[in-house]
Amino acid sequence: MAGEKNMKTRFLIGTMILGLVCGLFLAGCVESRTPYVGNYQSMEPYAGKGHVELELKENGEANWKMPTGKTIKFKWRVENNRIWLYTKEGAILLITPSEGGKKLSADMTGQWHPSCPVDKCILFQRVPGALVPEGFTPFSRRAP
Amino acid sequence: MTEPNNQIDKLKLEQVGKEVTIPQGVRVVRQGDPPVHFYVVISGKLKVFRETHDGIRTDLTELGPGDYFGEVALVTGKPRTASVEAMDESALLEIGKEEFDSVLDQNPKLARQIINSLAQWLVDGDQRLEKETVHQVKLRQISWFDYLLILGLSLVLGLVFNIYNDNQIPLVYSVHTAAGVEAIPLEKVKELYKDKQAVFVDARKANFFEKEHIEGSMNLPQLFFDLQYPMFQFMLDQQKVPKDMPIFVYGGTTSRRFDIELANLLEAKNHRKIYILAGDYQAWKKAFPLVEHEKKEVSAMPLGWSGYIEWIPVGIFLLILIPPVRRSPYLSAICRLILGIIFVDFALSKIMRPAVFALNVVEYGMMPAWGVNLWALILPWGELVAGLFLILGIRTRAAATIIGGMNIIFIIGLVNAIYKGLPITCGCVGEAGEPVTWWKVLKNTGMLVMALQIFFYDRLFVLDRGGFIWRERKI
Repeated sequence: MAGEKNMKTRFLIGTMILGLVCGLFLAGCVESRTPYVGNYQSMEPYAGKGHVELELKENGEANWKMPTGKTIKFKWRVENNRIWLYTKEGAILLITPSEGGKKLSADMTGQWHPSCPVDKCILFQRVPGALVPEGFTPFSRRAP
Repeated sequence: MTEPNNQIDKLKLEQVGKEVTIPQGVRVVRQGDPPVHFYVVISGKLKVFRETHDGIRTDLTELGPGDYFGEVALVTGKPRTASVEAMDESALLEIGKEEFDSVLDQNPKLARQIINSLAQWLVDGDQRLEKETVHQVKLRQISWFDYLLILGLSLVLGLVFNIYNDNQIPLVYSVHTAAGVEAIPLEKVKELYKDKQAVFVDARKANFFEKEHIEGSMNLPQLFFDLQYPMFQFMLDQQKVPKDMPIFVYGGTTSRRFDIELANLLEAKNHRKIYILAGDYQAWKKAFPLVEHEKKEVSAMPLGWSGYIEWIPVGIFLLILIPPVRRSPYLSAICRLILGIIFVDFALSKIMRPAVFALNVVEYGMMPAWGVNLWALILPWGELVAGLFLILGIRTRAAATIIGGMNIIFIIGLVNAIYKGLPITCGCVGEAGEPVTWWKVLKNTGMLVMALQIFFYDRLFVLDRGGFIWRERKI
């Protein structure tokens, strides 16, 4: 009986450790998309043709509409104050929000840089129709 | 060692020994001390235990009223074989060696009883030793089943998860053929390059292009074709490149032929004269003048707590220098926990988006194209299963072997990337990850040493084979 009790205690400890590991992981990666959900438009014309439009949806999908009218679909999430856009092939575009999510700078190299390289950077600004509730503080983004 | 009896009153009547009171927590006899007294427990509770040189304590038994101890050392004349400590305040009858011998001479019944109990103790000891030996052998056994279990679980979980994953990838990446795209011999292309009669397009990611590319070429990463094609078209227009000028696409690895795929995409955009370079996919490096930026470093994205915990294995080298610590099963238990957490963390950062990890694998350029996706699907699950097995103490030697094997593969990949100067991130933890450096190699070497330590010395808190039973250390 003592052995069984001992076994249960140790299983409990093991489960707690596992829970802690998973909890730490989840706490570190689950960040709310809500502050950045909305519509954005490039501040400069892209490739001399027109503006790029970016729609970030609450469900984690994103639409990148080229000036030519072609729409490219992405999935997106938020981690470490950055927006991560994923192509179907697994390539990543890192976007850094600023001014509380009013502006975004997309690093088109597909690599991470501390600041967006000037010649490979597309700057976006939020356009009317944004879905973010008023008064939402973008820096309290962790999911409950 | 112990046998309840009614000898206490008899011994008292014979007026041998003296009664002593032992406070709680005090050691009555200490393992290794010379034998001086024989003790009979009058009241209280005592614990008998042994300790090894490296501090592992094994509880042997508990003693209560009527039990006695200390006879083995007195009979054999050898140092104490175990320590005895009072668990409660205890009263003992303490008998000196001469008195003990005299009592035995005058009391054949008591002598026989002691001989019987000694014989029984020896028999029990043999049985315990055999059981422990079998236990140790079982713990040290590794069967193919253990490896099959871990690898099989990883394979099944990886494949099943991929079916239900929103970010599903094909099991085998379909290598695009060059059908429809003409491959031109290098000599002919060199002439066109010399006469500036062709456009050269690098199909690799920007970091590879920045490190090394054909002088005068443009970069259009195949992975971002849809996003960057308008800019590419704009640049062609700006440079007033004639519509019928040939476009040569280059750039590929063992793992993926980006050049062929990009050529196909450009053809679909109605570029008529799209070609690739014939022969070795790396031949362009020797055939054309290059622009090189060897020393450009890859930016390191902060990894948070994952980055810090990876430094712990580096500290293992200091502990390994201390022989008693090196062999300690307690160190094994700590190594298991740390290594388990690191590998679970590695796995969880890759499992959800296997396509991202697959591209990391491609960038190392060591895996054949057909194996990239399978590796990207199964490896993270292998990390997760082996990591969890280490934490929970299931098949720890097999789990340590597999994790050690992974570390060897990682080290080979990292060293190869460093020597080739590949401008890539590690792809070990996190999707943007840390750059490939010798520090990363050192961390992985630390993890390898941890796996070896577990393989050789792990024996605490493990679930026994043949059933989920925690191993008890009572001998």
